[in-house]
Amino acid sequence: MIEACRLTKRYGGKAAVDDLSFTVRPGVVTGFLGPNGSGKSTTMRMIMGLDYPDSGSALIRGRPYAELPWPLREVGGLLDAKAFHPDRSARNHLRWLALSNDIPLRRVDEVLDQVGLGSVAARRAGTFSLGMSQRLGIAATMLGDPGVVLFDEPVNGLDPEGIRWVRHFLRDLAAGGRTVLVSSHLIGEMSLTADRLIVIGRGRLVAETSVADFVAGSGGRAVKLVTPDRAGFTSALTSVGATVGDGDAGSLTVEGLTAAQIGELAARHGFVVHELTPTAASLEDAFMELTRTVVEFRPSTMAGPAGAGEPQ
Amino acid sequence: MVQALQEAPPGHYRFRQVLKSETLKVLTLRSTAITAGLTVVTGLLATALVTHAQLHHRPGSYAGFDPTQESLTGLLIAGLTGGVFGALLITAEYSSGTIRATMAATPRRLLLLVTKIGVAATGVVVFCELLSFACFFLGQAILTGAGPPSATLGTPGALRAVVLAGVFIALLALMSFGFGVILRSTAGAIGAFAGVVFVLPIVMYGISQPDLRYVPTNMLELSIMATVNRAGAAAGLGGALPLSPAAALVLMAAYAAASLATGAVLFVRRDG
Repeated sequence: MIEACRLTKRYGGKAAVDDLSFTVRPGVVTGFLGPNGSGKSTTMRMIMGLDYPDSGSALIRGRPYAELPWPLREVGGLLDAKAFHPDRSARNHLRWLALSNDIPLRRVDEVLDQVGLGSVAARRAGTFSLGMSQRLGIAATMLGDPGVVLFDEPVNGLDPEGIRWVRHFLRDLAAGGRTVLVSSHLIGEMSLTADRLIVIGRGRLVAETSVADFVAGSGGRAVKLVTPDRAGFTSALTSVGATVGDGDAGSLTVEGLTAAQIGELAARHGFVVHELTPTAASLEDAFMELTRTVVEFRPSTMAGPAGAGEPQ
Repeated sequence: MVQALQEAPPGHYRFRQVLKSETLKVLTLRSTAITAGLTVVTGLLATALVTHAQLHHRPGSYAGFDPTQESLTGLLIAGLTGGVFGALLITAEYSSGTIRATMAATPRRLLLLVTKIGVAATGVVVFCELLSFACFFLGQAILTGAGPPSATLGTPGALRAVVLAGVFIALLALMSFGFGVILRSTAGAIGAFAGVVFVLPIVMYGISQPDLRYVPTNMLELSIMATVNRAGAAAGLGGALPLSPAAALVLMAAYAAASLATGAVLFVRRDG
């Protein structure tokens, strides 16, 4: 259980996190979603006692992080994939962490095996690829077998296999009864990983909801349809209540029907289908709509006031 | 793949856990071994060259010759590398990002910093005492029977000089560690250390020579290492006498304490 209560953090008079309150419950993966610079990392650093809030508090099982008797046994935090000295071996990095919280040293090799780094345990961590560094960071969070875990953008820079591995890993943690908070700026990834969502923009809470509600609220997923008979298929779709728009490269974007329903419709009418793909496009639209008024950075070609620089 | 939750042991983490963790950290850095190795080699080499250069002078030219001070020349190199080691101990954590992992593992910051200071001080003292005795014995072995006066540990002031040189360099390293905590940058901390220890004396030479006796390098060489002829050393101090060994040690401790205290206040209050 993580409770943020009216967290506020200012950098040079500008609020990076502004009166932010939310609760992260155990047993589900909670996605912490927001555009770049919206205050996700700052909030996570405050939860872990690294940055001090100007006002408000963050509690883990009812206590501030600094008062946890054995921090690594209660909280595993991956805030920075490269938070290790490049000269130290992966094993030695985990060993000093284990010693600091009286964690048995056998756990070091256990977690290295868990993340698939058992064979490179003696190698200098500085030689690791980004994916291996992320795995080492994840191994460090699991060292004390904590009930609460925080991951800041854990899939950044990972290949598809790594992304899938992290996704399953997070869901396994939640299924084991842990409290899992994972930040991302990608709604598509969150919709696959998370059960609940905390959406922030400009440091303020925008929505605290379930992924299912968020998807339903966005009108469901869109389906990409490629067919040689655009006009005929479009009229058949609209006659059953679907919304049809133009997609990329001559495709159609269908909302209001699932891919299965569209396929059945095609079979009944004898339409030729070249491609039928569910997409997350409408989720992204919903996310952008939700955070539109509070987006920090946007390309200069887009309208709207430019935000100030991201605080360090 | 994920195991059941474990029960935490009773109590909470304390000095003992932080000490074990920080000690392992120091021992598993290549820079520790490299710094120590280079210091031993260059320190002993400096002592050997300087003492050897004193051989075969005319017998009358050894008036005021201080065999103890000459043999401890190698410790001046340890003064430099000790400062670099002290700064790196904390700035390497900032440059690599390890400091966040450290603060997350043991968030009580004052306990963390005090432990780090203890590990640094103990390591540097033990190392420098060994080097100090090694330099002394090497230097005396070269000097003995070859013309110049030589010393033994029984010579008045010799044992004091050998022992205090190691302690003094540990204090230098701690002052530099404090700079590292304050500045959080390797380049900045080593720059500040080199500025105070090596550049400041040059500037002060042109301003006020008697005040040079308060500069760390002069205290080390003229107050801590010297055993004879204190008046003769006064030439470089504009006529003033060097500080007594005790006064030099206390002043150096005050320098280190000021640097560490400033760093500690910032370390506890600042965002990690």
